[in-house]
Amino acid sequence: MAVSAECGFNYCPFNCRMSRIFGIDLGTTNSLIALMEGKTPRVIADPASANALLPSVVALASDGVVFVGESAVEMEPRLTLKPDARVSRAGFHSAEAGAVVRSVKRYMGLGGDEVSPEDRRRYAFTDFSGPVVRFRVGERSYTPAQISAEILKTLRRRAEAALPGEKVERVVITVPAYFNDGQRQATKDAGRLAGLEVVRLVNEPTAASLAYGLNQMAEGKVAVYDFGGGTFDVSILNIKGGIFEVLATNGDTHLGGDEIDRVVADWLLEDTPASIHGDRRAWNSARLAAEDAKKRLTDADSVDLRLDLEGRRIARAVSRAELDRMASPFVERTLACCGRALEDAMLRASEVDAVVLVGGSTRMPMVRRRVEEFFGRKPLCSLDPDQVVALGAAVQAGVLMGSHGDMLLLDVVPLSLGIETMGGVMERVIHRNTTIPTSATETFTTAVDNQTHVDIHVLQGERELANDCRSLARFKLGPIELQPAGMPRIEVTFLIDANGILNVTARDARTGREHSVDVKPSYGLTDEEIERMLEESIDLGEQDLERRLLITTRNEAGQILTALGKQLKEYGELVGTDERRRIEETSARLEAARVGGDRDLIGRLVEELNELTTPFAERIMDHAIKIALEKKSIEELS
Amino acid sequence: MVQCPSCARPVEPAITCPECGAPVGSDLDCFAAFGLPRKLQIDAVRLEQAYHDLGRRIHPDRFASSPVRLRDASLRATALLTRAYRTLRDPVSRGLYALELNGIKLAENNKNVPVELAELVFEVQEQLADFNAARSRGGEAARSLNSEVTARRAGLRLTMDRLMDELNALFGRIDANGAAGHDALYAELKATLSKIAYLRTLIRDVDKELDLTRAA
Repeated sequence: MAVSAECGFNYCPFNCRMSRIFGIDLGTTNSLIALMEGKTPRVIADPASANALLPSVVALASDGVVFVGESAVEMEPRLTLKPDARVSRAGFHSAEAGAVVRSVKRYMGLGGDEVSPEDRRRYAFTDFSGPVVRFRVGERSYTPAQISAEILKTLRRRAEAALPGEKVERVVITVPAYFNDGQRQATKDAGRLAGLEVVRLVNEPTAASLAYGLNQMAEGKVAVYDFGGGTFDVSILNIKGGIFEVLATNGDTHLGGDEIDRVVADWLLEDTPASIHGDRRAWNSARLAAEDAKKRLTDADSVDLRLDLEGRRIARAVSRAELDRMASPFVERTLACCGRALEDAMLRASEVDAVVLVGGSTRMPMVRRRVEEFFGRKPLCSLDPDQVVALGAAVQAGVLMGSHGDMLLLDVVPLSLGIETMGGVMERVIHRNTTIPTSATETFTTAVDNQTHVDIHVLQGERELANDCRSLARFKLGPIELQPAGMPRIEVTFLIDANGILNVTARDARTGREHSVDVKPSYGLTDEEIERMLEESIDLGEQDLERRLLITTRNEAGQILTALGKQLKEYGELVGTDERRRIEETSARLEAARVGGDRDLIGRLVEELNELTTPFAERIMDHAIKIALEKKSIEELS
Repeated sequence: MVQCPSCARPVEPAITCPECGAPVGSDLDCFAAFGLPRKLQIDAVRLEQAYHDLGRRIHPDRFASSPVRLRDASLRATALLTRAYRTLRDPVSRGLYALELNGIKLAENNKNVPVELAELVFEVQEQLADFNAARSRGGEAARSLNSEVTARRAGLRLTMDRLMDELNALFGRIDANGAAGHDALYAELKATLSKIAYLRTLIRDVDKELDLTRAA
């Protein structure tokens, strides 16, 4: 069977589906969607705002309404700074009525017990024991995968609006190279919850190297330094004849610009009483102010930082030197990761042919300086560090669609995978930096006569003791035929796919019979939970739309009523007694309807009121013109 | 025989279908994965070339839109190829794999120092202990020991190069030999690999001491 002429895929005579694959950078701070146009990747901007970056900010109302991106950002100061202010938009009436979640990516794949005190200072969570962390919003709770799904849905809507006739169904999503199995799985879950088929997860630094490699990078050893809002990755690649082979990767999934903001925020609040320092809203506004100052210090030597908390103003000047001092420990940590990656790649810093900068945090002059010193060469940053990962995701989407036949990505698993052996020791089955997909087979047997099951605990990490590694999953092998201890031989195959996600299969070595493996992930959502969330979200999706429309109509009615109230007060003499009675009557009906949920009724009353007040409005206009003319004639006389 | 996941013809187990070229992904040993005879002398450059060529054809990236069983076969075949490449690329792991295929195991954490290396190991350990003590005192003694240890490392690396040449020559002899003398040759292979493993540890220890000095 030869190449299928229709789609260009080898061996694809059946079931060829031609829908385009899009590339998505689901970032800590911003998210983007991109596509291949011919041989060039392009980021898709929102047709309404022309913005390519979608802030990864999600506002969640306690009644289930969700806003993503700029509109969530707009809502943030009102929700975080003035909790008692009535916010008509989106129905937020108090801080308790909603939450604005930033950096949800930091929480992907985390269990309830993995929430740090730092996290608790930022957001409210439901419980601290479950396999998945959940954000609490009034009576509702949301998993990070659900919140990320909202970001994905928004990207999809934007792309579909920008590309009439196209459907976004299949995507490549990028993840930090150092994401563990649980974090990767959570990202796939988010895609599924957004109704997308996640064809591939691609590591962010690798994606960046694809974007660079496509047009300008020479062959050789390349280090990608990816310092984002929430995560740090470094990957060392060997690029040769279209093959992008990752030699080693290292990083920290909780090391990003967020950390620097946190330290600056602490510094900003250091002299405030605990009532402010410990207050979630005050803390979040301080973080925002810190982030803003950090950005401005990219160009300025010193900036003024102002924070207006209820009843208390804080103003401090911060110099770039001061920021560098606060950021320094984090930057040094990134360089330590670079050192370990080089060691694993068996290279010296001087043997690297090119260094590529990725991620918003590489805009800090200090970061650039330290990276240059570390590698002894000027880093490349010709592609926008905010866009390069999305562009690379689009390139990989192109590869998956078969349009770059010579290109091939060989990535690695970032963390070792092993099993718990007797005495609680971690025995490595697949070592970190092994090229994926890869598999390893281990044989297990029984410890006592007639044992029917063997329990297996899968771990991920580099530490010697099982307790210090992250629990990945547990499963039971069996039922095993009754035999003396040590007789049964069960072969378990650990297969890591091209997404870096583990699959386990088992078979009896003697009979060759496949064993069923019931893997219980230690963290994350079960398939059933995802199914249920999907069902709920479909309902919510429609409710969401209806609710959005209701809110818009309500807001419109509110504006009309407010304006009308003002006019009646100011131009009271222009309205007849009977006319005023009828206007006030209709206003009262609209006011009453506005509280209810009947959107059509509100709409009808708005129209009625508009019609009723048109003569009044005309009179006001005439009056205004008359006054203006009078004024003019007086001026002429004098 | 296995069935090709693409053209459905029954074929001999192979990494790709001889009929249509699709990945098959059946269980194969590392040599068979590359379609190589079980010869231990392997040209590294040609192996890498073969790895990349095969990889381009069978990688899951090429089957993103294919039916599930073809995607599965691609995943399994690529995992197998990757493992085979990792095993064969490095002469030491290739040698260990050859032992394993012949049912011989090189015990991990082998405490018995190979006789030929015993004296050397003892000397180096003594030297490192002296160096370690001198470093904390500093001064001229530490500096002179530093250059001695650096020279020692160069010497050990030369020994390693010589052992690797020996290993390659041994591979050649094993390849040339049929069944005759098989056991003796494999015993020799085991001894050589054991020496290399020891020397590796020794070089790592020396590197560590020198790194500590640089850091101080």
